[in-house]
Amino acid sequence: MATVDANAVAVRPRRRRPRRRTALLLALMVAIAVVMLYPFWFMVDTSLHSNDAFLHGGPRSLVSWRKLLDALPVGHELWNSTVVCTASIAIIVFVSTMAGFAFAKLRFRAATFVFLAIVAALMIPIQSIIIPAFINLADWQLLGSYTGAVLMYAALGTPFATFLMTAYFRSLPDDVIEAGIIDGLSYAAVFRRIALPMAVPAIVTVGVLQFIQIWDDLLVGLLLLQNLDDRTITVGLGALAAGRTTDIPVLMAGSLLSAIPAIVVYLVFQRYLVNGLTAGIGK
Amino acid sequence: MTQAASTIAHADLPPAPTGPRRTALQRQRARVGIAMAAPAFLLVAVLLGGPIIEAVYYSMTQWDGLTTTWIGPSTYTHELHNPFFWRVLQNNGLLLLAVPVAVAIPFGIAVLLNARVPGWRVFRSIYFLPTAISWVVIGMVALRFFAAEGSLNGILQAVGLGAIHTDLLSSERSALFAVAITFVWSMVGTNTIIFLTGMATLDLSLAEAARVDGASGWQILLRITLPQLRRFIQFSVVMTLISAFTALFSLIFVMTGGGPGFGTTTLEFFVYQTAFANTDFGTGAMLGVILFLIMSVIGIVQVRLLRTDD
Repeated sequence: MATVDANAVAVRPRRRRPRRRTALLLALMVAIAVVMLYPFWFMVDTSLHSNDAFLHGGPRSLVSWRKLLDALPVGHELWNSTVVCTASIAIIVFVSTMAGFAFAKLRFRAATFVFLAIVAALMIPIQSIIIPAFINLADWQLLGSYTGAVLMYAALGTPFATFLMTAYFRSLPDDVIEAGIIDGLSYAAVFRRIALPMAVPAIVTVGVLQFIQIWDDLLVGLLLLQNLDDRTITVGLGALAAGRTTDIPVLMAGSLLSAIPAIVVYLVFQRYLVNGLTAGIGK
Repeated sequence: MTQAASTIAHADLPPAPTGPRRTALQRQRARVGIAMAAPAFLLVAVLLGGPIIEAVYYSMTQWDGLTTTWIGPSTYTHELHNPFFWRVLQNNGLLLLAVPVAVAIPFGIAVLLNARVPGWRVFRSIYFLPTAISWVVIGMVALRFFAAEGSLNGILQAVGLGAIHTDLLSSERSALFAVAITFVWSMVGTNTIIFLTGMATLDLSLAEAARVDGASGWQILLRITLPQLRRFIQFSVVMTLISAFTALFSLIFVMTGGGPGFGTTTLEFFVYQTAFANTDFGTGAMLGVILFLIMSVIGIVQVRLLRTDD
């Protein structure tokens, strides 16, 4: 790729971009940016008004933010979201790195079948299984704590994570593994001490992708976190919206607060998120 | 979900050594391999695989969560006579009309970004930002945007079109239209990134050669660029299709609650409503199975397309 670019430059001295064309493109891009950023602006602006000022006009204030902190257990819900995300991602990374390494490097006879069985589960929409899953987890007494939701999030994230980790470990040369074995390490030790440290970028991709998915989810949390004290921020917000609360500025303050952690993760790990989203395109 | 099909299409793990002359090391390796793959397999089998089989069983029963009465496959033919079921499928069908738009607009945006005007990276980040936001939050803002006293009417008034007073969420068809617009907006980030990734893989020398041969910009786009991007376009279409069927629960839950009437109730939302609002678990399970069948068809078609590509 790079060589092609270099040749093109060498053969044909770069034309100066016509100013007017650049200006037109920029104007278009700014217009699109306005459309994409509008909801964020709306949330910020609305949350900085009292309900009265929002409806009938009036000065900015922090009234709605104070009301949000009084009316809702947002701190507790943010904590719940953090716990649920962390636990689910830990399980996903634990099982998917091991499975990926096994499929890529420890070829056993049923490996292809087991790999396909796991990845085929990606085809199952959550809505198709939520009813039996709900009943099962209720039978197992797992709906009164984080456990049921955490297990469900972990199961939902595992197929794609396993696919990603398998692809990643396959790109590691076999020599690296064999050298470890010849040095007297067990396969488990090769995995822990050699393969896993090399897989950190793939693990980060899995973590970021799952964080955003789990943090933003409503359905699983709504049904599997039966205890109101266990609700995540997104579920708390969804329930509030369904209750048709009329205090829009408070709702917008809540929305913004719930979105901030995901936005921060996005800004810091943007590259990894892009990698994860486009990883399914294949070779 | 989307990634499944392409993965299956490209799944060719190296073969395992077989035969009687496996060494002790190979046997040990296989044992460790099975042990390491087991947790992932069990997690998926117990929490996803089991329930999909149970769903098929429950779909043939009359079941309110407590008592189960076996009825058989006639539940399916019975549902075919339910006018609400067809209404819901019609909503899904209408939402599919938004898919081409949700693919075409990001394609245009990717072309725009790919011109690499100074500062394009900042714009890329901005366009991709909504990908991080929950559908709950998006629905919350969209609800305010389309409301009778909401921002859309404010904007119309500001540009001198105050005579057009909209209230999209108050009638069935227009509410679905509002959901579709919100859906298209939400897909911009993901699809733009897919196309940008694709455009980065383009072999520029082909377009250059065509230009030297006197091809116009449009000809180059249609004859050279688009065919080279085929796989990315397919991926984006399937991704959008799957989102239209299975990702809109939270949006509809927050924005319209499925209404007015059945105006914005899609199949996935109907599953939830039937099972958890009306506690008819048997019918809910059946609707879930139907959704699964539709998704499987999309998946199989995608695998076929990718296989023929290679």
